[in-house]
Amino acid sequence: MRKYETVFISDPDLSDQAREELFERVRNIIGRENGIILNFDDWGVKKLSYEIKKKLRGHYVCLTYGGTGALVTELERNFRLSDLIMKFMTILITENVTEESLKQEAEEVQKAAKEAAETAPEEEDDAEEKTDTDENNADDQDDAQQPESEETSEPAEESKE
Amino acid sequence: MYKGQRGGGKNRFYQRRKICRFCVDSTMELDYKNPKALKQFITERGKIIPRRITGTCAKHQRKLTVAIKQARQIALLPFVGRPLN
Repeated sequence: MRKYETVFISDPDLSDQAREELFERVRNIIGRENGIILNFDDWGVKKLSYEIKKKLRGHYVCLTYGGTGALVTELERNFRLSDLIMKFMTILITENVTEESLKQEAEEVQKAAKEAAETAPEEEDDAEEKTDTDENNADDQDDAQQPESEETSEPAEESKE
Repeated sequence: MYKGQRGGGKNRFYQRRKICRFCVDSTMELDYKNPKALKQFITERGKIIPRRITGTCAKHQRKLTVAIKQARQIALLPFVGRPLN
């Protein structure tokens, strides 16, 4: 078996119910093909760097799972058929993983997720808000910072000599 | 005119050796899921900055380009960034 990671972008304007149905369908496909879901990470709605299907926002989901190549082809075939999924990308993480180690890992991930949810459900919300605002600022800052840093370093070198 | 230019000639353009940022800080991971970190290595136009400018080592530059291209694929980074105003 192999460990894969698939990120897919679903339509941001979906209702919660429709989205849950879509996720359930994805989980079913993996279950049907004897795959093991390790992590189902919902990133939420994010701004896209470029337009996809005339849309500037997308709902990201990062899915880590163990399975065979047949599972990936089946999953991607379904993604292509679905109108609700705008884009997807699958990446191979590790080759030659045993089923037992994957199952073990899945349990660990679930445990960690449970603990995280129990300890700090409020903090998470705060953190998400912060990152959102950071990203918006970062766009402008990055552009300004880079040329500056280069300029400041150059005169210093000259003066040394 | 020439007084201030001791050690001139060829050595005038001596540059401090650049260091690979990923080798220095081993906790810094190269991942397409972290576009904020990758943004430091692309121009405003969205092009990958060559390693002769950033000083990244060959090993990490290879991984960096892959990560940037993956991030582009999933719309976390632009293929073509917005132009300078």
